[in-house]
Amino acid sequence: MSVRQQRLLSGSPWVSGVAAVCVALLTAAPAFSQPPPRPRPGGGPPRSAPPASNAPAENEPKKDDEPVEPEKEFFFAVKGGIVHTVSGGDLPGATILCRNGRIQAIGTGVEIPKDAEVLDATGHHVYPGLVAFRATGFHSGSDPSDGTDVYSLNMALALAAGITTCMSGDTVAKLTFGSVEDMIVRKEPLVNLNYSTRSPDARRRLRESLDKLVDHLRKVEAYERESATNKNAVKPDDKWIRGEAEKHLKLLKGEASAEISADRAHDLYQACELADRYGIRIVVRGAYEGWTMAPRLARSGVSAVVTPRARVDLDERYVRPTGSSIENAAILHNYGVRTAILPPGLSVSTWGVVGEDLTHFNMEAAFAVRGGLPQEEAIRGITIDAARLLGVDHRVGSIEVGKDADFCITDGDLLHYMTLVRWTVVNARVAYDKQKDTLFDHIRPEGDRNAPPPNDYWPRRLGSDWEGPPLPESRPQTGR
Amino acid sequence: MRRQQVVGNRQQATGNRQQVIGSRQQATGSRQQAAGGEQQARGKTRRRATAAALGVGVLALLTGVSRAEEPPKLAFVVGKVLVMDKADTVINNAVVLVSGGRIERVGKASEVAIPQGYRRIDMPRHWIVPGFVDCHNHTAGSLSDLNDMVYLSNPGLDTLNTVQPESDDMWMARAGGVTTVLLIPGSGTNISGFGTISKTAGQSVSDVVVRSPGSIKVAQAGNPERYWWGVGRMFMNFNTRQTLEKAQAYHEAWAAFERGETTEKPAFDPIFDGFRGLFRKEFVASVHTQIYQVVMTTVDMLARKMDLRTVLDHSEFDGWKVAPLIREALAAGRSIYTIQGPRAYHLDGTQRKIHGNAARWWQAGNPLLGINTDAPVVAQEQLPFQAAMGCYYGWVPYEGIKGLTRIPAEALLLDDQIGTIEAGKQAEFGVWTGDPLDTRSACEMTVIGGRIVYDAGVRRRW
Repeated sequence: MSVRQQRLLSGSPWVSGVAAVCVALLTAAPAFSQPPPRPRPGGGPPRSAPPASNAPAENEPKKDDEPVEPEKEFFFAVKGGIVHTVSGGDLPGATILCRNGRIQAIGTGVEIPKDAEVLDATGHHVYPGLVAFRATGFHSGSDPSDGTDVYSLNMALALAAGITTCMSGDTVAKLTFGSVEDMIVRKEPLVNLNYSTRSPDARRRLRESLDKLVDHLRKVEAYERESATNKNAVKPDDKWIRGEAEKHLKLLKGEASAEISADRAHDLYQACELADRYGIRIVVRGAYEGWTMAPRLARSGVSAVVTPRARVDLDERYVRPTGSSIENAAILHNYGVRTAILPPGLSVSTWGVVGEDLTHFNMEAAFAVRGGLPQEEAIRGITIDAARLLGVDHRVGSIEVGKDADFCITDGDLLHYMTLVRWTVVNARVAYDKQKDTLFDHIRPEGDRNAPPPNDYWPRRLGSDWEGPPLPESRPQTGR
Repeated sequence: MRRQQVVGNRQQATGNRQQVIGSRQQATGSRQQAAGGEQQARGKTRRRATAAALGVGVLALLTGVSRAEEPPKLAFVVGKVLVMDKADTVINNAVVLVSGGRIERVGKASEVAIPQGYRRIDMPRHWIVPGFVDCHNHTAGSLSDLNDMVYLSNPGLDTLNTVQPESDDMWMARAGGVTTVLLIPGSGTNISGFGTISKTAGQSVSDVVVRSPGSIKVAQAGNPERYWWGVGRMFMNFNTRQTLEKAQAYHEAWAAFERGETTEKPAFDPIFDGFRGLFRKEFVASVHTQIYQVVMTTVDMLARKMDLRTVLDHSEFDGWKVAPLIREALAAGRSIYTIQGPRAYHLDGTQRKIHGNAARWWQAGNPLLGINTDAPVVAQEQLPFQAAMGCYYGWVPYEGIKGLTRIPAEALLLDDQIGTIEAGKQAEFGVWTGDPLDTRSACEMTVIGGRIVYDAGVRRRW
């Protein structure tokens, strides 16, 4: 019985859609000319199958031969590497087995199914994919899965830096190179608040809005109590809670964290007071004077996103300690402030001055180590702690069973200046392979420090691992 | 002057303009002579007292302040000394004795006894690395005076008058192990003035200035093109060449007079008098140059034809393709140092490859390769990080450290004083927690002139 027949038999298009999927599950997998689309992590039909509710009308042209994907398990394994789980120590030589894009098992005795795609990371270090608390230029601004160029140079460079997840605009999204599948991790985990002493009006308006909402929540609570006994209890009006107020309500309900740009101590104190007064979770970004008041931040449960390298000279007009400190991250950590790390630049630049943006994300963590933060904590600042501040630590940021299969696999210690990313894996798919991308393939191929400079191939775009027709003889190297 | 006759009306106009600067500066010059005289009376001999521009009066006041006490006697007991000499010596478990501002002895701890009266500084896990030298700095002076773009070439200007010791920038520089910098004017004009070699610690101008002039800044392509409409590379090369040839003619006239070959005393020219050291090879030409064709012009015009000691600043994009020409010129006895930065890589869009600039220069066999920051483009304290980035993109660490120490010291003709940890040289080094290129390593102590000028134990700055 074909899918078409199924659809004809059942009257409702919705039922026919569901039935079609059921039938496809029961029948043997047909032979495809194209490799089948990969099943989505967490199950469900692949995106290429028409969504059930949009099943075609009865009189549409025949589409009987349209393949309907069977639900099929997909296994991916990384073996042989030194696994740095971040949350559970280091496991040299452990195998990570992933099923349908999620980590299923980690360990030395894990058996790899026959049909699994295996990445041999022997001699390499396996870290969780890096998480950038904020980034620009990797995804489109408004809706990442609709507007992003998934082949962009920026995305390739970010993957080459080991980044797999970042906050783009108001969405936490993945760098799913060449695909938009499962790009979105979470929408609007943060509410941006303007709470600077430089804009007193905005501060006053924010407090008014929050006060009003606290009052509203009390009324709702009273209504809920009363409605148990009194059928005539009047539900408080909530039609006015729109726009900004709606976002603020999410803060008060604990459904989102507030993100406040605050650099200097007086603004940081204000953020602490706001957290104390309304019981909301606050993440301060910048916080270069955080080291001067770390205990206060810790007491109010305020988290920080810092740039250890930030340099602001001390301000002699103040009697208190001022200015930035390379020890900022270390001091904040010592007092128990959850701290994520970001470089000064939040994109990848290609104009040549490097080391100051996400192209070298790991180096900012290395600067934190310079300031006294233990190496493991510095790595947490660009993985699990950043994920936690974004509210996505249940999915990314560490190598744990049940989490997404996102890895950054390097040829050395993540925080060493010569370490190159060899592979970046996103959703159990190799999104970046240094030796297959032309960008870095000539730099220390297989770790060879004395590798000769690359040949100048023509046509140039194909790269050294080109598997198509043979390349013409390389031209004599210009300048050699 | 020879050239002037060949040029058309347009150049004549430039010539006239220059004449105007000449007369203006002559006026300044006469005012300065008094100040200069005063300065000499204080026993300060400066090679070029007469040709200094504005502000020397202030300078004379500042030079009066200097530290009276002798530098201390120090004995550093460390885990490793990177000597950075030509034999690439590395000494593990070493002692470095410092007295009178100089390195007295370097050797294995088992062989060097610490004499009486030395303050012993035990840092048994730390490395001593020569102080880093940056050949391209704009932050040792007041930044607002960086680019006096009065004319398309401003040969009389001098950064000496902008030197600003003890600024936050200099504090950070030495916290990053950077001890000597060449303060140069910006690259807004073809010739934008003299550079000043300066220490990163010291309370007065006379404390910090090592050599003035330390270089002449020449800028080719890029920035000076924005000076005005119609200023392109063809004209700029002509402009640079004719200015330098005038200066050379001036120098030769004076040299002939001094040798007694003529009794006719040449007229004093405050614009060109400062250039005489350049032709005597007492200082270098710092050249803002980048891109294959432009770097080629620099090597050909300045190093080969005019035989100037040439320091190629920037040398970015595909500039590395000039390496064979440089090798040839070096073999012919010319002096060319490539001090690369601040761009660490070049993205070749056609090839879709990222080329490390330092790596490509190194791979192409350029032996005299160093690194700069162009501070504040990259913060001065991040000079070693610049070299680390060079290594990320394919360079190698030991060469990187050499490119921060011995090579730039040689480039600036300071190699008899600094750049290595050898007895007799100035005590100028950083004490590091490990590999100085590693971003995680910190400079715990910086020594300049035999004095501890930064101690992270007192207050860590970087």
